[in-house]
Amino acid sequence: MREETRKALRRLFSNASGVLGVVLLGLFVIVALFAPLLAPPKPGRDPYFMPVVTWSADPLPPSREHPFGVAGKRDIFYGVVWGTRTAFRIGILVTLASTAIGLFVGSLAGYFGRILDEILMRVTDVFMAIPFLVAAMVLTTVLGTGLDKVMIALIVFSWMYPARLIRGNILQVKEEQFILAAKSLGVSDTLIILRHVLPNAIFPVLIQASMRMGSLVITAAALSFLGLGAPQGYADWGALLNYARNWMLGGYGATFKYWYMIAFPGGAMVLFVLAWNLLGDALRDAFDPRLRW
Amino acid sequence: MLEPHGDCGPHGAWFALMIFYILRRLLFLPLTLFGISLLIFLMIGFLGPYQRLATFINSPERLKGADVDKLVELYGLNDPLIIQYGRWLKNVLRGNLGWSYVGKEPVLSAILKRFPYTLELTLFAAIPIIFLGTSLGVLAALNHNKPLDHGLRIFAVVGWSFPDFVFGLFVLMIFYGTLGWFPPGNLSVWAEEIVKSPHFRNFTGMLTLDALLNGRFDVFLDALRHLAGPVLTLTYVEFAFLLRITRSSMLEVLRKEYVRTARAKGLDERVVIHKHAKRNALIPVATVSGQTVIGLLAGTVIVETIFNRTGLGSFIALASQQLDYASIMGGSLFFGLILVIGNLCVDLSYALIDPRVRLE
Amino acid sequence: MKEPVLLEVRNLKVYFRNDEGLELRAVDGVSFTVPPGKTVALVGESGCGKSVTALAILRLVEANGRIAGGEVLFEGKNLLALSEREMQRVRGKEIAIIFQEPSAALNPVYTVGEQIVEAILLHQSVSREKARALAEEMLHLVGIPEPRKRLNEYPHELSGGMKQRAMIAMALSCRPKLLIADEPTTSLDVTIQAQILELLRELQRQIGMAILLITHDLGIVADMADEVVVMYAGKVVERGTKYDIFKRCRHPYTLGLLRSVPRLDVDENALASIPGFVPDPLHFPEGCRFRGRCFLEDETCATEPPEVALGDGHVVYCHHAALSEVCHGER
Ligand SMILES: Nc1ncnc2c1ncn2[C@@H]1O[C@H](COP(=O)(O)OP(=O)(O)OP(=O)(O)O)[C@@H](O)[C@H]1O
Ligand SMILES: [Mg+2]
Repeated sequence: MREETRKALRRLFSNASGVLGVVLLGLFVIVALFAPLLAPPKPGRDPYFMPVVTWSADPLPPSREHPFGVAGKRDIFYGVVWGTRTAFRIGILVTLASTAIGLFVGSLAGYFGRILDEILMRVTDVFMAIPFLVAAMVLTTVLGTGLDKVMIALIVFSWMYPARLIRGNILQVKEEQFILAAKSLGVSDTLIILRHVLPNAIFPVLIQASMRMGSLVITAAALSFLGLGAPQGYADWGALLNYARNWMLGGYGATFKYWYMIAFPGGAMVLFVLAWNLLGDALRDAFDPRLRW
Repeated sequence: MLEPHGDCGPHGAWFALMIFYILRRLLFLPLTLFGISLLIFLMIGFLGPYQRLATFINSPERLKGADVDKLVELYGLNDPLIIQYGRWLKNVLRGNLGWSYVGKEPVLSAILKRFPYTLELTLFAAIPIIFLGTSLGVLAALNHNKPLDHGLRIFAVVGWSFPDFVFGLFVLMIFYGTLGWFPPGNLSVWAEEIVKSPHFRNFTGMLTLDALLNGRFDVFLDALRHLAGPVLTLTYVEFAFLLRITRSSMLEVLRKEYVRTARAKGLDERVVIHKHAKRNALIPVATVSGQTVIGLLAGTVIVETIFNRTGLGSFIALASQQLDYASIMGGSLFFGLILVIGNLCVDLSYALIDPRVRLE
Repeated sequence: MKEPVLLEVRNLKVYFRNDEGLELRAVDGVSFTVPPGKTVALVGESGCGKSVTALAILRLVEANGRIAGGEVLFEGKNLLALSEREMQRVRGKEIAIIFQEPSAALNPVYTVGEQIVEAILLHQSVSREKARALAEEMLHLVGIPEPRKRLNEYPHELSGGMKQRAMIAMALSCRPKLLIADEPTTSLDVTIQAQILELLRELQRQIGMAILLITHDLGIVADMADEVVVMYAGKVVERGTKYDIFKRCRHPYTLGLLRSVPRLDVDENALASIPGFVPDPLHFPEGCRFRGRCFLEDETCATEPPEVALGDGHVVYCHHAALSEVCHGER
């Protein structure tokens, strides 16, 4: 196992796209960590709210003062920088929570099997039957706007994926010899799950989590884009893009001059999601070469 | 799940297994739908009784001058949730989904009116997605680890990472704002007038099809022009997944012994690929294609909103923005229904494509 | 007098590149001949390069491998020098091949009939109806009952033995001059094994083809082969007639191979197998590849072993060919 892991890590870092993913993520981490230096907030204000910088609702192109321009009266650069923190917060918290729930439910279903398994799997069917975005929309409308509400909605509708993965892994591992051996020695079920099954499933779960991170952040941003997620003025890439929408519909011939409204927050989003996808792909290649695509 | 077997013994056993499988799926269908309705109801159940009143009233006249407290009492909105759920379900089964403020009509008719637009968009997007996804996937596999393969992978993973609203905004900016090619909306004003006129007959509710059936080629072209932007967006954002699946399926099949057998017969490499390998590789791809098309329905929420189109997706987005709970409930229920039935059809049709599972 | 030769493999080398980019010399200088109408057995432990040799003869090695040298002379012409199109006319028509795993070797989405007809139409100018009739005849010939019905069945509807018969029918439908059978019976159970081998022998008599039989079952070799080629770690170590190999073998590896077969007439203790393991193809030893496992090993073995001809086509590649004769006494 140890040797395998080391080999896999070597494969990961000899994979160009994996390295690119890690580097991109590293840049985002730096931006998030140094946000107060890159875009100093006004003292005494919640730094996660983008300060209003102009009186006119018209967007302003990039300038010395506002390097990414101004949208919805707010500085895009400030929003992109602090939005990085928002993206990480949503992505990491939702992934952790949904993975924890998924691990629990999946372990129950996979290990105890039979009726419990059938019931839990039908429940995941139901949760997966409504499209992720639509389901999250419904729940946020009920819970109200706010980042915490968005995160709750995302968790409620994303625990099924790790649950299914874990269940599948357990069913597979269950048949294997060492579990049978442990069982015949009278080791308890909980111990078997903790000692044997979960360590074996850890890499698939990690890979899946990294792949899911992208779609979670996209969905959260989509909610903000629709005006259902982050509150007015919150530093969030989706919310910034929401400002751009009406200007893009405003008749043709003139919209290209508003390119900065899409390019900066949109570019940040694409790179962020791309980084996670590249990392996820590379992880999968490294740990499970059979699935290489 | 239905898994193709290598050796599966006599025919009768297979047949029985298939029947069993179909029955099982059909049995779980109402159960899943029931679960979806319960889930949606419970979510809305977080709201207070006054907000939920809207989901029961079928026309605004009935609210006029009425005492709201009395109505809450009348509909039993203070009763235990289970009882309320039963009542709501009965209403839903009768086709009464409440009054839609967003649509200014009963929710059910608002949905049924908008669904064809969304279906039309989905079907139009499905064509390039499936075509590009599979053919580029095969191409990538045939050039395994060559520059073309790497190029396609990069192109795909970037598309895969593009949120649909970001790409959609770019498309809007470039193809509408700058070039003026693909305008937003469903139709131009002149075409809309034609469609609304009494001479124009609505057969399917899908604009392109109806235009052709009415012999209005100009309206057809106009509808296509309006579809182009959303279709382009959905295509780039969604084709990547199919490309991946096709590529890895094809790579796997190319390693199979029967491909070697085909070569050993003396067949030309083209025949080996297109007749022997592709046919096998596309079997799993067919299922994924089906799932992708069904998944597109959800993608319409964003795309229809960005391109200002009328449809089920923009309807639900608008309803959410305006807290029109009756529409939200009805819309999400309808989405769930379509998804579940669609997935069932995809799974069952899988049985028809793969001869190992074929029913005589 | 020189014997007639149908296939001559000369110094064939097939190298693979693995995932880490390292070169793997799976077949490294293999030479042998197949006379027309005869059966030559290619034997050796798992992984010694038998299948790769067979595939290289038809130029079907996988994309990550390449034929790095040598010649494959079929009726005097070098197959390795043919264009791809010319090669396609050899495959299936002159040289046919059947594989170990019949379930994997038939395309699951086409009926058995379609697959046989395809081969016939490819190499014979006959109508589709005639091809179907021929296919049915072939199925009948290989002993499949109700051939007409079977033509319309998919591979998964046939049992393993039936599938292998269908594969044989397909391979022989164009009356090839050489059939390469890569462990044709390994995945089948014993009674069916015997039937399939009997069938091959019968068809060989009728069609007059030569067979290159790949196997590691010495019982089958004793039963079927006229000549034997013994491979070890990508090289031929010894070749000769069946009699040469079974009664007068000179290579220590061949000896070990023969000894590892359980025999009823010999005392338990003599049932010695070869010590050690087959070397990893990435780390073949320099010189004689059997070094490290050989009881005759000394310093000379660090150099490439010489080809020692013992007359009548019996050839052994060993520094100690003279010495090893002595060892037969033990047996
Ligand atoms: N495509 C490939 N890539 C890398 N290595 C390969 C490839 N095909 C074969 N090899 C290697 O070549 C060596 C010879 O393989 P081959 O299949 O010829 O063995 P074999 O003698 O047929 O064994 P068996 O009796 O198990 O069939 C093995 O070490 C194998 O790992
Ligand atoms: Mg082999």
